[in-house]
Amino acid sequence: MTMLNPDPDAALVERVKQGDVRAFEMLVVKYQRRIERLIGRMVRDVDLVADIAQETFIRAYRALPQFRAESAFYTWLYRIAVNTAKKALVDMKRDPVTTLTALQGSDDDDETYRPGMEPTDGETPEALLASKEIAATVNAAIAALSEDLRQAITLREIEGLSYEEISDVMNCPIGTVRSRIFRAREAIAERLRPLLDTREGNRW
Amino acid sequence: MSQPDSDRSSSDSSRRILSALADGDATDSEAARAFQAWRDDPDARAAWHGYQLIGDVLRSEDLASAPRADEAFLVALRARLADEPVVLAPQPRAEPAVVLAPAVANGAATTRSRARWQGPMAMAAGFLVVVGGLNVLRPFGHGPDASVAAAGGASAPLMASATAVNNGAMVPVGQQTPAQTKAAADQLAPYLAAHRQSAMNAPFQMPGNDLRNVNLVQPAQ
Repeated sequence: MTMLNPDPDAALVERVKQGDVRAFEMLVVKYQRRIERLIGRMVRDVDLVADIAQETFIRAYRALPQFRAESAFYTWLYRIAVNTAKKALVDMKRDPVTTLTALQGSDDDDETYRPGMEPTDGETPEALLASKEIAATVNAAIAALSEDLRQAITLREIEGLSYEEISDVMNCPIGTVRSRIFRAREAIAERLRPLLDTREGNRW
Repeated sequence: MSQPDSDRSSSDSSRRILSALADGDATDSEAARAFQAWRDDPDARAAWHGYQLIGDVLRSEDLASAPRADEAFLVALRARLADEPVVLAPQPRAEPAVVLAPAVANGAATTRSRARWQGPMAMAAGFLVVVGGLNVLRPFGHGPDASVAAAGGASAPLMASATAVNNGAMVPVGQQTPAQTKAAADQLAPYLAAHRQSAMNAPFQMPGNDLRNVNLVQPAQ
C-alpha cells in the first residue's frame, strides 16, 4: 500500500530540485489557471495578468532550491503570486507607463475604443465561448458517469480527500479508488478531446 | 487511424500513472515513468493538461480556460525558463545503511585503537619530558645522564625548542651559566607540573618516584 504524501506535488518538486526543468512545466500546467485567476482579482489590467503569472512562475523556479516543504507547494506558490502582484501594482503606481494598457487607458477619453484594452486571447469572444463549452462538457460528462466513478472523482477533486480517505468513505481498497478516479478522468477527457485540440491539431 | 494494441496499452499505462501523480499517489518508479512520458509523449502532456483542467473546472467553472491560452502560456514560459540557470537544490547525502555500518565500525575501531595506544604514548611522552628536564637541570651536562640525553635523538630537538621558546634565544645546554639554568628550571617547572598531572591521569602512569626525582634534583643545585 502506498502512503499518500501530504503534499501531492512533493514528487514533482523534488524532481525540479534535481534539475529537471520539464517537471516544473507540469507544475505550471497544473497551477497556471488558478494563479492567473488570483492575480486577475488583484490586478485589473488584463494585459498584466499573464505577465505577472509568468513572473510568478519564474520567481518560484528560482527560489525552489530554498523551498523547504514546510507548507504545500501551492501555498508557497500562492504567496509568491500575491507578492509579485503587489510589487507590480507598486511599480505601476510609481511608473504608470509600465504597460501600454495603463498609458492608453488613462489618456483616452473615448470609452468606446481603447486600443490597449482589447481582450487578450483568454478573453476574446471565441475564447470565452470555448471556456463555456468546456465547463458545460465537463458537467455533462460528470452527470453521465456511474455513481462510483462520480463519487470518487468528486471526493478527490472537489472535497480534496486523499485516496486513503476516499477508500474509507467508499469502503473499498485504495487501488480501486485509484482506478475509479482514473476512469472518471478518462471518461471526461474523452468528451473534452475535441474541444482541447489546439488549432494546429498538435497539442502541447 | 487506430493505434496498435501495444502502443495503446503503453499510453493507457502512462495516463494511469499521470492520474496517480496528479494526486500525489505515484510511487518513485511510477513518478520517474511519468516524467519520462511528459518529456517524450505529446499524448501524455495532453492528458496531464486535460486532467488538471478537469479538476479546475470541477472546483470552479471560471477556471475553464481555452486550451490555446494554456499552451501559449507554457510556450512563453518555456522560452524564459530556457534562459534560467538550472536549479539544483543541495540534496541530503543518502548513505546506504550497509555503507554506514562499516563507517561507524571503523570509527569505533579507530577510537579503540587510539585508546589502546594512548597509555603507552603518554608514558613515552612523559619519559621524554622528564629526560629533557633532567638534562636542563644539570649544570654542565656531563656524566652518564648526558650521554643518555645525547643518544636520545628525539630529546635533543625537544630541549632546543623548549629553550628557544622560554629564553627567546638558543643557548647550547652545555654552555648555560648556573643563573641561566636556574631561570630555565623556574620556567620549566609549570610544564613539568602539567606533565606530571597528565601522567597521573593517564591509564598507565609513570612510577611516582621518577617524577618526584625531578623536584628533588632542583633543590640540590
